[in-house]
Amino acid sequence: MSPARDSTLAAKTRVAIGERPPRRRKRNDLIPALLFLLPNLFGFALFTVGPVGFSLLASFTDWNLTQPKVRWVALENFGGMLGNHAFWVYLVNTLYFMLGMPIAIVGSLALALLLNQKARGLVAFRTLLYLPSFTAGVALMILWKALYNPDFGPINYAIGAALDLLGLARDVSLPQWLNATQNMLGIDPETVRFSRAQVGLGARDALLWMGVWTAVGGGNMLLYLAALANVPEELTEAAELDGAGSWAKFRSVVWPQLAPTTFFIVVMSCIGGFQGGFDQARIMTNGGPAGTTTTLAFHIYQKAFEEFQMGYASAVSWALFALVFLVTVANWRFGNRAGDWE
Amino acid sequence: MKATLATVLLGLLLLSVAAWRDQPPAPPPGVTKLVWVSDDNPLRREQVRLFNRLNQDLEVSLDPNNGGNEKVIVQSIAGVGPDLFDCFNGADLDAYYRAGIALDVTDRLADHGIDIRQGFWPAILPTSIGPDGRVYGVPTNVGHNGIWFHKEIFEADGVPFPKTPWSTEEFIEVAKKLTKRDSTGRVVRYGFLIDYWGWRAFMPAFGASLYSRDRTRCTIDSPESIACLRFVHALMHVHRVSPTPTEESTMSAQGGWGMGSMTLFGARRGAMALGGRWWLATYRGRQDLQLGAAEPPFERFRAWTSAGRTTMINKNSPNREKAVRWLLFLAGQEYNQLINDQADGLAAVKRYCEGPRFLLNPRFPEEDHNAVWREVSARAVPEATSPFVNQRLANRLIDVQVDLLRTNQKPIEKALRDAARQVDAAIAQNLEKDPELRRKYERAQRGEEPVPVDEQAFELVRQMP
Repeated sequence: MSPARDSTLAAKTRVAIGERPPRRRKRNDLIPALLFLLPNLFGFALFTVGPVGFSLLASFTDWNLTQPKVRWVALENFGGMLGNHAFWVYLVNTLYFMLGMPIAIVGSLALALLLNQKARGLVAFRTLLYLPSFTAGVALMILWKALYNPDFGPINYAIGAALDLLGLARDVSLPQWLNATQNMLGIDPETVRFSRAQVGLGARDALLWMGVWTAVGGGNMLLYLAALANVPEELTEAAELDGAGSWAKFRSVVWPQLAPTTFFIVVMSCIGGFQGGFDQARIMTNGGPAGTTTTLAFHIYQKAFEEFQMGYASAVSWALFALVFLVTVANWRFGNRAGDWE
Repeated sequence: MKATLATVLLGLLLLSVAAWRDQPPAPPPGVTKLVWVSDDNPLRREQVRLFNRLNQDLEVSLDPNNGGNEKVIVQSIAGVGPDLFDCFNGADLDAYYRAGIALDVTDRLADHGIDIRQGFWPAILPTSIGPDGRVYGVPTNVGHNGIWFHKEIFEADGVPFPKTPWSTEEFIEVAKKLTKRDSTGRVVRYGFLIDYWGWRAFMPAFGASLYSRDRTRCTIDSPESIACLRFVHALMHVHRVSPTPTEESTMSAQGGWGMGSMTLFGARRGAMALGGRWWLATYRGRQDLQLGAAEPPFERFRAWTSAGRTTMINKNSPNREKAVRWLLFLAGQEYNQLINDQADGLAAVKRYCEGPRFLLNPRFPEEDHNAVWREVSARAVPEATSPFVNQRLANRLIDVQVDLLRTNQKPIEKALRDAARQVDAAIAQNLEKDPELRRKYERAQRGEEPVPVDEQAFELVRQMP
């Protein structure tokens, strides 16, 4: 509907219901409005726009907290970053942790579907499954560290029991989790190439699966629950009348209705994934072993606050922003089909 | 709705009032408050109490939440830093010096007759004396490592107490005798407990150093360094007298104690352990322990890597002149005797570690090993740092390679060679960026730069019998 037609219709409607047309906004209305907005704008400018702009400037300098002089180095930091092997290793680590994202999203949807059933005690289940989200992250990470203990952790105990049952206990050694550089894709920690010797389960996988566990029962599940509650019942009833089974109903009716939510979750997960890994590295592994759990976020911290290279760290931060931006734009371009379903 | 909003507002107001009332009380008129960033050790509070009692017009308060040089530097540059802060090694000092936040106290100390170079243990000097030869702090204590042992385990196993000085071979033999296995061959008690990172404590004993004498090259791949790491690696993987890192964490989890050699030693999971005198702060209450101490074994020199702290003054602090009195206190008798009595390491001033009062404290007559700690302190060597590379970056590069070695993915030689190559590459990168640093580097190569303080300390120990 065109805006001109809309305004004409609105005017006619107002006449029909006897409403007076809105007053032209007086200029002096603007001043109180701005005054109300001012504290927020001031804070936003001071604590968000200012530092962001400052970090952009810093990324073109060799600013080091331990050096008195600051030089303008143009794109040197960015060039240095691209030529730094460690940057690529840490980017690969970051992307590796994002492998858990699809599993976490599917898991959230599955949980939401289960919790959307009409059954007794669902509120309790919903609360229990949301527990990880309001438990302190540090406490969870310390707990997971104990779970991953190679010899006495319950995870290896369960794997050991399963191997025993299958008669494989003698042939397969248990994963060393946080102490090992091995990973599911066999990525060598130094060369970042495939290495048969690196195939296994190690620190990268430990953090990946912990992340999946945290994400499955978290905010994504709630978003899916809300979206499922908004699926019009008449659509599902119509599908049932047409003889659709559970799977057909989900595939053809429910899933399309969830598309905007899925899109939102994918975008947010991508952003979170690129920015993630700091807490886990700081608390559980200190980025090791052999740098296998150092993500870009942790790398920025190391450069800025351990080596005091603020200029370089700012450059990596902006590169990370560019990466997130590009991925988000790609998501919008290729993933946003929400409009098709309206 | 209005009532709800009003209730929320009232609640917030009440909380604000409560928070405001909960603020720490302002010092009485005429009393200046000084903030000291240090670790959250209960012993610090007693040290602070002593100072406050001796200086009625000053009130030092401990801030354990802002430790770490990143926080200290950022806060001090921003003008909200502490008045006093601790420095743990030459790399920290270098960072504080370059950031321009450490106050030069050379003349202020000289006015009170204090000469850091004379009265203090030489190994602690690199945490106090800057690259320009000026003094930036006063050593707080030293915490050099020795070998703790359980006397009763030695006696029960019929092994004589360590006769020092002892070579690494003699040490391994003793550790083997003290390692106990069950019927399945599983180790139930190790001969010697050491964390993997502890290998660097033995570097001076093998004549190894992280850097060349002129500090222009990383020499962690030298034959001496390789021999040192091979010694510690063999303790775990060849002689099986020390737990591997995985075994160590497993043993800790079993006992439910936590992590680290100190905990395992307290639980008698090891007959000997590498640790400092400061372990007594934890063990003194334990009536069941009979502890002895010996100097660590050596290969070429009776020298081991040092540990200790220095306290510095924030150059940007408005109370910097008053804070000098804390440094004077650190150099004084009351404080140093308190350190010795508390077993918070050892007093940094040498003369307080002499005499019968130090050797046998009547309050702790069972502690007959203080002479060992004094000897270890005299032979301690600071870990070398280079002005041409950030030491935290160098440590990270080295740790990555040691991780690969630890997980059996690289042989010792290759791991250390790669580490040295990467540190040298970082040095080259810094030189490329900074022409002034390059000029200093070239002067150092020509031998025109003064010998670094940490190298002087090592030379001193090498000349000792």
